[in-house]
Amino acid sequence: MAQEAQLPTTPDRGGAGTPLLQAKTLTKHFPLGGGAVVRAVDGVDFAVLKGETLGVVGESGCGKSTTARVVMQLIPQDKGEMLFDGEIVGGRSLTLKEYRRQAQMVFQDSYASLNPRLTIEDSVAFGPTVHGVSKPAAILKARELLTKVGLDPARFAARYPHELSGGQRQRVNIARALALGPRLVILDEAVSALDKSVEAQVLNLLADLREEFGLTYIFISHDLNVVRFISDRVMVMYLGEVVEIGPVDELYDDPRHPYTRALLSAMPSMDPDNRTMEAPLAGDPPNPINPPDGCRFHPRCPHAQTVCAKVKPVLARTGEGAREAACHMEVAGSGHSRAPKLEEAA
Amino acid sequence: MSAITSETTPAIVVPPLAKSPGYWAGVWRRFKYDKVAVAAGIVVLLIILMAVFADYIAPADPTRSSMLRRLRPIGTPGYPLGADELGRDMLSRLIHGARLSLFMGVVPVFVAFFLGSIIGVSAGFFGGKFNTITMRTVDVFYAFPSVLLAIALSGALGAGITNSLISLTIVFIPPIARIAESVTTQVRSMDYVEAARASGAGSGTIIRVHVLGNVLGPIFVYATSLISVSMILASGLSFLGLGTKPPTPEWGLMLNTLRTAIYVQPWVAALPGVAIFITSISFNLLSDGLRSAMDVKG
Amino acid sequence: MTAPLVRMENVTVRFRGAQVVHAVNGVSLTLEAGQVLGILGESGSGKSVTLKTLLRLLPESRTDIGGAVEVDGRDVLALNPQELADYRGAVTSMIFQDPALALDPVYTVGEQIAEAIVRHEKVSQKVAMARALELLELVRIPSPARRLKAYPHEMSGGMRQRAMIALALAARPKLLLADEPTTALDATVQIQILLLLRQLQRDMGMGMLFVTHDIGVAVEVSDRLAVMYAGQIVETGTVRELLRDPQHPYTRGLLAANLHGAKKGERLEAIPGAPPALNSAPDSCSFAPRCKHAQERCRATLPPVVELGEGRVVRCILAESALAAA
Repeated sequence: MAQEAQLPTTPDRGGAGTPLLQAKTLTKHFPLGGGAVVRAVDGVDFAVLKGETLGVVGESGCGKSTTARVVMQLIPQDKGEMLFDGEIVGGRSLTLKEYRRQAQMVFQDSYASLNPRLTIEDSVAFGPTVHGVSKPAAILKARELLTKVGLDPARFAARYPHELSGGQRQRVNIARALALGPRLVILDEAVSALDKSVEAQVLNLLADLREEFGLTYIFISHDLNVVRFISDRVMVMYLGEVVEIGPVDELYDDPRHPYTRALLSAMPSMDPDNRTMEAPLAGDPPNPINPPDGCRFHPRCPHAQTVCAKVKPVLARTGEGAREAACHMEVAGSGHSRAPKLEEAA
Repeated sequence: MSAITSETTPAIVVPPLAKSPGYWAGVWRRFKYDKVAVAAGIVVLLIILMAVFADYIAPADPTRSSMLRRLRPIGTPGYPLGADELGRDMLSRLIHGARLSLFMGVVPVFVAFFLGSIIGVSAGFFGGKFNTITMRTVDVFYAFPSVLLAIALSGALGAGITNSLISLTIVFIPPIARIAESVTTQVRSMDYVEAARASGAGSGTIIRVHVLGNVLGPIFVYATSLISVSMILASGLSFLGLGTKPPTPEWGLMLNTLRTAIYVQPWVAALPGVAIFITSISFNLLSDGLRSAMDVKG
Repeated sequence: MTAPLVRMENVTVRFRGAQVVHAVNGVSLTLEAGQVLGILGESGSGKSVTLKTLLRLLPESRTDIGGAVEVDGRDVLALNPQELADYRGAVTSMIFQDPALALDPVYTVGEQIAEAIVRHEKVSQKVAMARALELLELVRIPSPARRLKAYPHEMSGGMRQRAMIALALAARPKLLLADEPTTALDATVQIQILLLLRQLQRDMGMGMLFVTHDIGVAVEVSDRLAVMYAGQIVETGTVRELLRDPQHPYTRGLLAANLHGAKKGERLEAIPGAPPALNSAPDSCSFAPRCKHAQERCRATLPPVVELGEGRVVRCILAESALAAA
């Protein structure tokens, strides 16, 4: 039947400019035994608008990868919920299986994310067959997508993952993610393992595909240069929490949270006459087991005051643009001496 | 807009592509270069052929005894490998003995391969409490030395070939289940399994498409390395009188009955042991070679 | 002028095996004492192999090394086992990408550093331990006395990397080889380690060869840069020269791919294709298949080695016209 050979297209419900995905107080804790708990993701709120790329940055232990896995529903959240185009993920009108067709993920390790026993085209065709597309139709679709990601099917479709280079494998993974016709693609350090010259090719490809298929990306990376290049908005995470989120240029040019500032000034200068002279932060990022009270960044923050150790700052709008930061210095009347005066704010 | 909008015609023709030499072709290519493994494979093949065509190859009836020609040395005219304590032709008995010895080596391992894989793969894939309960139960059996377990089970079930087969199968299920469980746990945490789950695939599909293909090979290789153990244990059971009954030729039993002749004709008495040794070491080298040939990286 | 600290002359490294790999194909470089040379390249460019050649860390049974390698007046390729043992650690030592693998998990950090000191200087265990403590202070590990008795797994990533640097400096080497020492670290830790290395190198007057794939990191620590591609150095010069006036198309591509200052929404000028397999020694420009300036000459013969100035060498025909124009 012609009907079973293709996947349905999903109509846009909210219209352009509305959030495609809203995460509300997402929380994921991993008990370690002995009472210790890894607070990997702790009450994370964010929204991804249709057609935009949300960059997520942060250091190891900040919870960015766990957030990706929860968003993909590979691990269930402990608390919180997600709305996809206005519908509750896993609810009655948007089942988990249907959600997983509309949201897809590309992993960092291009080799581990392909089954070594399947040919490239079989790997790409697997998803559609799960959703009821006939095998021949899925294979044709797979070849079409391989062409789209720059791999000639005649040369590559029948090959096995170990015969491809890292960059080629990552292209296959992107084709595989697109095979289900998703609207949201989560890229978890998807270009981090590639060589720089190959990384640039894949970034170009991602930009083209976003254009062609009208995709929305969540782009997770530790490379601040890459995030700046590809993202419309950026979310900065620290110890399982969002410390700052906002439009990319505003955030890079005028970071409001002390951690964002530190992270940005830790970037290599690329200027032999103006090298970095001082490290912005001392020590390693702490691990998310039993994180500190109050603001989680306060033990390392150069501006920390009494209020920071006691009261947890919440994400609040700051500055003129659409920026939010979780810092007492940005909130009038917070009790921090650098906070704006109440009259001024009014 | 969706990526899946291909206008579907009623009959879809997928143009075939030249398959690149696949995984197994690579395994075969690497295996070919491993001279030791190839030699072992040839020996195993010869032993199997010898067992299958025993009736045509064997120069004499393995059960025809002759009181006059007892315990002849190797090289006696008409008895190229000598004669045993009842004057039966050793060569014919060794050839016929291969049948039962191989049977006892291969069958329990194969049955245990299927049962152990089912237990181990499901425990590894589903994890959690199911894994704990299953694997701890398996560990109880694993705690006994395999020889003792085989003897105890055979003793409890009674002597005979069928009971030996059953007890050997039970002995081999725990180690195979263990390996299956650990390989599956490894595969389950691979990104491609995650990606399959993210595509909305159910457990059954994931196991069929993504897990089995990647775990059965290593489990099978491990199982082939148990064939030699199985042969030796089966011989041991026969030696103790728990397996085959005389006069059926079987290497373990032959070793037992010739034991008394060790001072009279030590070389003849040692022959069944040599046969067991050659066969089991060939199986072991073969499985070693398979293991390294199947190990792809990059 | 005195002899340089490191002199490599037309070094080739070939791995024998099921497939022959020509990992390094005629590398020549010099490093003066107290200088830092950054070696920049992608995976498979031969940068790590070049570094390991300087310590003779490559498996001798399947490696053919050609050319000359001299460090501090010693012919490294001719050292006998005893000389090699004295050479390693005392003259040249190395830090690695993964300190978790480079440190022995069953000994405390203090024991490992003291052992290295005792081996090279024949002092008592007590003196060595005191020196180990000084070294931990030198690399600025907080509460060093306590860390002396810590096992590697009890330390965080940045701290382990500091401990490994302390271990590498135990016998006061003249040359420090750094093989991507900050690649596995978080951004805020990476800059700390880079600053520490830069300071230690200056204070101790060491020469340093710093291998990395990250151009930003290389700029942060190096005086001079060497860009490697397919087992050859394609361009060398000071950091300034390479950044301001890159000559080789590959260097230019790498600089563009770093995305520093790239505008959002702009198309990246990506180098197409992938590095070549190194199954045979190059007989033409290895970069030609990916180069948009490639001409027939590039595919026919090896590119010319153009010397644009003191220590400024480019392996490309484009540099010839640059030379003529100058």
